[in-house]
Amino acid sequence: MKNKSSILKWIFIGAVVCLLLVFPAIAKSRYQVHIVNNIGIWILLSLGLNIAMGYGGQFNLALGALWGVGAYTAALLQTRLGVPFWINLPLSIISAAIMAAFVGLPSFKVRSHYLAIVTIGLGEVINLFLVNQDELTGGALGINRIKPPSLFGFPINTDERFYYLILIMVILGYLIGRQIVSHRIGRAFRALRDDFQAARAMGVNTGYYQILAFAISGAYAGAAGALFAQWNSYISPDIFEFKSALIVLTMILVGGIGNLPGSVVGTVLLLVLNEYLRVFERWQLVGYGIAIIVVVLFLPGGVVQLAGKFEDFRQRWLARLTKGKSNVEEQRNVP
Amino acid sequence: MFLEIDQLTMQFGGLVAVNNVSINIKKGEIHGLIGPNGSGKTTIFNVLSGYYKPTGGKVSFEGRVISDLPAHQITAAGFARTFQSMRLFKSMTVLENLLVGMGHHAKVGLFQEIFDPVAVHREEQKFIEKAMELLDLLEVADFANELATSLPYGHQRRVEMARALATDPKVILLDEPAAGLNEIETESLRKTLTKIRDLGVTIFLVEHDMKLVMGICEIISVLDYGKKIAEGTGPAIRKNPVVIEAYLGKEDDQ
Repeated sequence: MKNKSSILKWIFIGAVVCLLLVFPAIAKSRYQVHIVNNIGIWILLSLGLNIAMGYGGQFNLALGALWGVGAYTAALLQTRLGVPFWINLPLSIISAAIMAAFVGLPSFKVRSHYLAIVTIGLGEVINLFLVNQDELTGGALGINRIKPPSLFGFPINTDERFYYLILIMVILGYLIGRQIVSHRIGRAFRALRDDFQAARAMGVNTGYYQILAFAISGAYAGAAGALFAQWNSYISPDIFEFKSALIVLTMILVGGIGNLPGSVVGTVLLLVLNEYLRVFERWQLVGYGIAIIVVVLFLPGGVVQLAGKFEDFRQRWLARLTKGKSNVEEQRNVP
Repeated sequence: MFLEIDQLTMQFGGLVAVNNVSINIKKGEIHGLIGPNGSGKTTIFNVLSGYYKPTGGKVSFEGRVISDLPAHQITAAGFARTFQSMRLFKSMTVLENLLVGMGHHAKVGLFQEIFDPVAVHREEQKFIEKAMELLDLLEVADFANELATSLPYGHQRRVEMARALATDPKVILLDEPAAGLNEIETESLRKTLTKIRDLGVTIFLVEHDMKLVMGICEIISVLDYGKKIAEGTGPAIRKNPVVIEAYLGKEDDQ
């Protein structure tokens, strides 16, 4: 039984990977590819926030600004010094991670929603820096004409080509995220979130892991920033505000907090929904809000909860089919 | 001296929770700490595990002052504890709870942890094996993959002890392990404590169940209003008039 479901799981994963690989060829328009690229960048952001907040309980709402730190690092290195993407990507990741570690310092003194408020403030400070240091950052006008990356002389300059770069980054980001959350670091994060005092007594260096949680979310934001800057070829400070962090927060709440697939599901759902709601024009945000309230009310663990509910339903259904022989529901609940 | 609590004072504003208390604990013994509610027992535990920095005096362990170390370094020095109100990690299985305690023994570094799945897997297998041994010892191995907080109360207590042992301590601080247990469970707790002692772990026990304390502790310290009022073997403590007075009140008070 278990074997069968794991085969099904691999068939499902294989099908999704195949679909993703051929997507630019079957997409109805270039615009669809553009949307999917955008989704990929936001998935990186929501993976980062989910690791820090969903697992580690560290509310990093400076995420929008940290995304900006990554984007500006890449953009400045590229436009001023001509540094190629493959070098400014790791530098963006490092700079955003270091900045995130500083943003995380107040976590020694304040927790949960208080920490959220402090990080919102610090994020706005970073954003104001981007707006006001116009000699360095181009101010409110931002930076334009950022050149696209190229691979051995092959320029990655169209949405279709960027699609594969972003796809690889998202898959890598997901796999690294899974490695982080499912072993020692992830357990230490969950320990701090579940019971801070008990975590200390179990030898968890809480300060270290708090800062690490921030730095990891910063690293994801940095990668998303470098990708965004070179894909969009133009950046300005108004995207790297608190509202971006809020959108990412909504994505993980809707998808499933403390759950990596939840990040992916939430991001895809919200951004796709956003496209469909465009026809309602100014009612777009209302529809968006209603959708979020419905999810939070009926699926407090996020949309990924549906998978568990479906599994329960299937078990019950199977049990009814084989009534008399075995009662699956009973077997499942008795320890 | 193995563990030396030296003239420890813990003051919260005007309240002196622990007042100039000195206790020496020998390696391998089961040392009891009793006293009426609010006499400062848990405060001493919280100082020992690094939650509070003492306002006076110090704690030394194997010749080294530990009372000014952060909590996780005290754990690394060989202290583990359980809590009066159990504090298992609620999102984790029994096994994962133990693995958290083993984390600080990890030899795999941060970058290896993220980018070298093979090394991580190898280390994890070692940890799981050791965790299962501990769960076996405390007779909760069958529940390894259950959510820890879904177990019956008595089992959760054992899991909490197993989790403390997972940090590989030299001293284990048990804060009222018999609270909420029935007589049969308390009896099996007594056996568990003997097993833990046989592992070579020194036990410092806060407990209200006198039968258990008298039956198992080699030496007992008694606190009242933050002061140590007596210390001795079970029978001596039982006869000590100062202790009787602290628990029952003085006759001519009436």
